[in-house]
Amino acid sequence: MHRIEHFLKIVFLKVIILKGGELVKKINFVLATVFALGLFLGTQTAPASAGVLGNGSSITDNMHIGEIVKIGNRKLTIATKFEKKSKKYKLVLHKEGYVMTANRGEFKKFKELKKGDLIAAFGYYKDKKWQARRIDILDPNDYLVKRLAADAAAGSYYKHER
Amino acid sequence: MKKRMILSLSLAVALLLCAVPADAKKVVLTDFDKRDWHVVEGMDNDAPLRDYAILYDAGGVDGAIGVIGIPSMRTYRHIRTGVDLHNFPFSGSNAGNNNGTPDGKYLYVSDKGSDTIAEVNLQTGWTERIFALPKPFGIHHSAALSPNGKYLFATGELTGKMLKLRLSDGATTVLDIPPAPSAPDYPDTGRNGKYVFSGNYYHSAVMVFSQNPFKLIKEIPVGKNPHGTNVSPTGRIVTVCDKLSATLSIIDVEKLKVHRVIPVGAGPLHNQIDTLGKYDYISSFVSDSTSKVDLQRMQLVDEFPIHYRVGHNSIAPDNAYYVSQNKFSTGLFTPTGIVFAVNFELQDIDETSPTYGKSVKIIPVDGEPHEGRQIFASYIQRWNTGKGNDLFTKGYSLGDVQISFNDKGRPGLRGPVRPQIEPHHTNHAKKWWVPRDNGKPGMTKDGDVYVLRIKAFSYGYVPRFLHVPQGAKVRIIFTNIDKAAGLTKNPDVTMGMVIAGYYGPKTMIIGPRGMSMVSEFTADVAGEFEFYCQHFCGPLHLEMRGTFFVDPPGGTASLGVGDYDRVSEQELLLSEGESEWLVGTNKLRNTLKSGSEPTI
Repeated sequence: MHRIEHFLKIVFLKVIILKGGELVKKINFVLATVFALGLFLGTQTAPASAGVLGNGSSITDNMHIGEIVKIGNRKLTIATKFEKKSKKYKLVLHKEGYVMTANRGEFKKFKELKKGDLIAAFGYYKDKKWQARRIDILDPNDYLVKRLAADAAAGSYYKHER
Repeated sequence: MKKRMILSLSLAVALLLCAVPADAKKVVLTDFDKRDWHVVEGMDNDAPLRDYAILYDAGGVDGAIGVIGIPSMRTYRHIRTGVDLHNFPFSGSNAGNNNGTPDGKYLYVSDKGSDTIAEVNLQTGWTERIFALPKPFGIHHSAALSPNGKYLFATGELTGKMLKLRLSDGATTVLDIPPAPSAPDYPDTGRNGKYVFSGNYYHSAVMVFSQNPFKLIKEIPVGKNPHGTNVSPTGRIVTVCDKLSATLSIIDVEKLKVHRVIPVGAGPLHNQIDTLGKYDYISSFVSDSTSKVDLQRMQLVDEFPIHYRVGHNSIAPDNAYYVSQNKFSTGLFTPTGIVFAVNFELQDIDETSPTYGKSVKIIPVDGEPHEGRQIFASYIQRWNTGKGNDLFTKGYSLGDVQISFNDKGRPGLRGPVRPQIEPHHTNHAKKWWVPRDNGKPGMTKDGDVYVLRIKAFSYGYVPRFLHVPQGAKVRIIFTNIDKAAGLTKNPDVTMGMVIAGYYGPKTMIIGPRGMSMVSEFTADVAGEFEFYCQHFCGPLHLEMRGTFFVDPPGGTASLGVGDYDRVSEQELLLSEGESEWLVGTNKLRNTLKSGSEPTI
């Protein structure tokens, strides 16, 4: 057993001594390639996770901005705004949900909403329904709405990451 | 020549047109406003007689909720609530940004000093119930609301625990969060009912819990010492202020990992995201600024200077104003006592306003406020015009929803009763100031009195561990030995010491520089109690803490050995007979079906 170990040690040392220079060269080349590749990948600006953050709205979001295209009894359909491609979502008003206007704290009845209103809806997707706890009617002249519109016109879309 | 003249004239006309100021922000009178007798006409200034929003602030060391009008910044009242208040959500739902989707009934504020959560009735303007948390717990910033508004999630910063609490009766489930040292800090709840997120500054990570069943899922490493942790209104991301890294970590909620790290002003502490999830406004303590991050572009887009050393912040419900809640005042205000006034600074964040990015008002405030949240004034009804009976019967309406105080199943609230509690801020506390004490820190005996000399500095105490036997008469001589308050370099930093929980109302020691405070009390209850600095003193203020052990006869106090059932009864916080409005306590510890109750 000891003889075999001794033999292996000698072979290993010879390889190191005789082939050392070549090995070092090869290792250097591999290391340099790995480093360059790492540097290249590290400087890329692609997000760490593309996922849902970069692909526009999803029904599971807790908030939607859109224009009312259809309205019924405590339910409505919106076409999302400021996204790359508008999507349609059906929303229902939660039993504890309410509607506010853009008029600093004014409440409104659901039935007073009308087609074409721009709204922000806040709530959650549960039991295959998107339930709104609050619907805010947005003012198209509000600075944030204007900003979202200007951004979208410039190619920076809502719920898309650049 | 003629062409030049025409060109010059055109240029002059264009310049003149550019120089015409944009329309000032007008207060539009609605039907709602018109019923108010004192609103006579629309006004172009920023201080209408009637405020359109109300800023509630957890007042910190004054133990009261401050109620301030927006945009006038007038203080309307203080609601007496406890010992040292930190953070609160409004009742209703957590849908939206930090201001949530209120129903106008309550706010739930964490009291770090007494280790309780107080329920404040916004319609009566008084504290109504106290949730006595199971002991030992060690609350800090608490308290995030579940989407269905039926549960709170609270952080036990001082003992490394997390808690889920049922708001109807105070039943709880408590989780231990190892490894020590562990300090669950600011929590926020996912808007879809899945997760609770909380920074843990000792772990430099954000902890992720499942709301139902309530359990720890994972820790996500973020920048150094995370503090403000907030879920965006879209529910897609969590923004985390990395206090010592000067960065904002953006966590992808779907993947539960850091998605981006954005450099912001130095010493970022708290987030305020607007209602549309577009911008995040960050209070940057060291750089004395508000950092504005575009959450769509994921980059810093603006920075507004503030007066001095901001802590918390709040945003108006219509995104028009932002309040920078500053921790120091550098001689800005007339002295009115030993402790300087901290201040609130109103900033205009409407990008179309002529005063965008400017501070438009600054006021001194009481206490040392922590969390601030704003709601529209229309949630609070005008009960004092003969309508009071409605409070007990039909309630009030918010659009389609009828809100009433249904007390079915709520302990202590039998029949048409709306309690008015004014919890004790200090109780059985004897305190006085003396000239600066230069005695050696540590414990000595003066007859049968245990004399504890404690020195406080940025950021720590000497000594940090104090042992006295149960029943001992204790005299604390507390001295602020700070010279330049670390990073803050502020010459007038006040230090403090509160022994959290049972001894909170007995201590509340305040230490301005140049003098010492003496506090005497009897250590009548055994157990291990954390003490901490309640006066903001700099970025590592939270890490300034120690432990007060009251050893039972023949034993050594620990988190397992102490009179914790008695401590949970909060006997020093309420007056005789008021305990019927105290709910929870150790009797309801871990009775929440092990935390498995739906939160959405």
